[in-house]
Amino acid sequence: MKIHRGRIAQYKHDQLLREYLKQNLNDLIQQKELIVDGKVKTQIATLDLPTLKFGEEAQFLAQGAGGGASGGGASGSGPGGEQVQALGGLLGGDHHGKELHVELDFDEFVKLAQEVLLDELRLPAFHEPARSGEVESQDTPELDDLDRIGLRADLNLEETMVQSLLRNARERGVLDYDVDVQQDAWYFIEDPTTFQNNRSVEIYVLDISGSMRGEYLALVRKTIFILWHYLERRYPTNLRRYVVFQDVAEEKTRDEFFCVESSGGTHISTGFEKAVELLEGVTEYDKFLFMFTDGETSSGDFDLAKKKFEEAVAAFDLVSYGHVNPGGRGIGGFSEYVQEAAKSRGGAVFANLVDLETIRSAMKEFLAFFDGRTARRHAGALPR
Amino acid sequence: MGMVGEYQSVIQEVERLARARGLAFDPVIFQMTNSDEIAEVASMGLPNRFIHWYWGGTYKELVTQQNKEVFSILELVLNTVPSHAFLRSSNTYLQNVLVIAHVFGHADFFANNHWYRKSNKNMLNEAERHARLIRTYEQQYGKERVEKLLDALLTVSTSVNAFERNPQERRKRLIYSLEERAPLEDFERALLEAIREEAEYFDLIQRTHIINEGWATFVEAELLTRLLTAREWASISVQLCNRPAPYTIGYTLFKHVRDHEGFDRALEIRRFYEDVSLIDLTLTEELVRRLDIFVYDPKEKQKSYDLQKVKDMLIAQKLYKGEPRVEVDPSSQGRDLLLAHMDEDRKLEPKRIGLFLKAVHTLWRNPVKLRANGKVYTFDRRGLSST
Repeated sequence: MKIHRGRIAQYKHDQLLREYLKQNLNDLIQQKELIVDGKVKTQIATLDLPTLKFGEEAQFLAQGAGGGASGGGASGSGPGGEQVQALGGLLGGDHHGKELHVELDFDEFVKLAQEVLLDELRLPAFHEPARSGEVESQDTPELDDLDRIGLRADLNLEETMVQSLLRNARERGVLDYDVDVQQDAWYFIEDPTTFQNNRSVEIYVLDISGSMRGEYLALVRKTIFILWHYLERRYPTNLRRYVVFQDVAEEKTRDEFFCVESSGGTHISTGFEKAVELLEGVTEYDKFLFMFTDGETSSGDFDLAKKKFEEAVAAFDLVSYGHVNPGGRGIGGFSEYVQEAAKSRGGAVFANLVDLETIRSAMKEFLAFFDGRTARRHAGALPR
Repeated sequence: MGMVGEYQSVIQEVERLARARGLAFDPVIFQMTNSDEIAEVASMGLPNRFIHWYWGGTYKELVTQQNKEVFSILELVLNTVPSHAFLRSSNTYLQNVLVIAHVFGHADFFANNHWYRKSNKNMLNEAERHARLIRTYEQQYGKERVEKLLDALLTVSTSVNAFERNPQERRKRLIYSLEERAPLEDFERALLEAIREEAEYFDLIQRTHIINEGWATFVEAELLTRLLTAREWASISVQLCNRPAPYTIGYTLFKHVRDHEGFDRALEIRRFYEDVSLIDLTLTEELVRRLDIFVYDPKEKQKSYDLQKVKDMLIAQKLYKGEPRVEVDPSSQGRDLLLAHMDEDRKLEPKRIGLFLKAVHTLWRNPVKLRANGKVYTFDRRGLSST
């Protein structure tokens, strides 16, 4: 039997990496640009041995790009935009002192963050009671419908290519098939009526006006990651859409949503309005709106925001309003209104997000929604 | 690990050609293996070396690069007697023929180069012995303690110099100074010696990387022109120019020597030189231009093809492995260990200073000081401070 020394060493390496990331999660999660090229990049070089390094940009040996240089090393742009490739691999043999910057796939990062947060928060596990009246079947489901989310094996290539063509025409002005699975993919799926109960649409709306300080971002992102933990267990397919707003609201991709810069004034009404707009044509079973704001909407927007909030409550199964409050100050402005409104009606929950403990309370309240759902469903199934 | 059946006859043919060309070497044992195993050996440096998390990072990186087909290691050969060479099963037949010729170049270098002749040819067994020793100590003293010690030892092990024999000069290098003076327990000292010995083995490889790879590529070309058809050779010669920098630099220098001073002079250079002397004595203005190597200033976005600048920088890379030159101050005699950064004009990364000194303190036990960045950093039981 062969001992896989390389894999054992890698396992040890990855254990250390996880430990390190756990300890530094708070700093990492606050990075303004959390996702770059689909990855969470860190400045961590700890998984290197702590040898000494030069701390400044200095002259280095390089080779023209056509010169056949390769191996690790910095690259840059030389005079006239010509590529300059640092001469790498000069040492060979053992690889001491090489920088190994830690990069994680975003999904891997989220999983790790969830692990840490759930552990810290001691949150309850989520158990959805078995639904009455359902029977298991060994039959292969008939994939006779199309959706933007699905399994890679069920990709509808034709539809995906059309989508890619349209996007490239729209964004780059060229009729090119340059498929980006995240943006273009269409999948064969089961008829939604047969599994509608398993699908949710989640719209995340983030107020990017004012100061998006590190702690503000940390609270929002931690809350979202924990929400995902529960939502993914409840709904095998989650359609997620992302909106940011200040004076106006805009839909963003996931990666953009986690890299936004703060700017402009605040019109909360626009956030609600855009979220409701995105529901058009949605067939998912449960519809969620998660709003994150400091509640300080422009004075002229207050009444309109109230109206749009009511519309959102009517359109969504649940509107979850997170008042992001890292300083733990009193709740005022529009948030105060929502806090009161949520008490008196179903379909809306209010959370004052101050720290991990308040995220924990918010989650408990959020999970109560499922209990209510389950109770209603069971009640409906009972013979009268 | 598989047999090399289908290559047996070509191995014999290449070996015959190599000997006919005046090369001399110890027996070479070829083994067929897969990319994963090559990545494993490449990341650890030796096939049966002790397992450490640090190789895990390199292994992961190599496997990822190979999977993405960004970079592949085609061959591996070990400086042992007999030499062990690995062929990759996923290589094409022609690629493996190239590898075989290249390997005989390395085997010749191992057997004839002045520095390699004096090197430890028993490293495969030594590495195995070290790995067993570490496993025993882990059981005796606890995994965590041994791992922490290994981290510190590997950190300071970059200060070895396989060429240095002068005791005074050696004492300026941190690891030798620690070996002589640090208050270590017996098992810690045994580990230090093991790590130092392995580091010296790799240090030799690093200090001769350009000449060794250059020679092996040069031999590969010399033999293949005799073995391959003109068409095959043409496609191969394009690939030879596309290899990593040490290969192309060394290859170009040897070709230049052969063309201007003859093959026997090339044989002499492979016998007596290492990277620094090879660069110093054979690199010319014309070759710098031909290789398109330059010193690049990222602040000014300026290239310099100045021969002396390029030479100096290449030589500095070889002497100090591209790392800051830190020496033990000769006045450091008492309880405190005083280190000094010799190139004071250049700043060191402050974040790493604390981590580095902490690692040294693990071995030295008493206050460790470093003069750098216009300050004196001290690491003692209370942690890091600077004045």
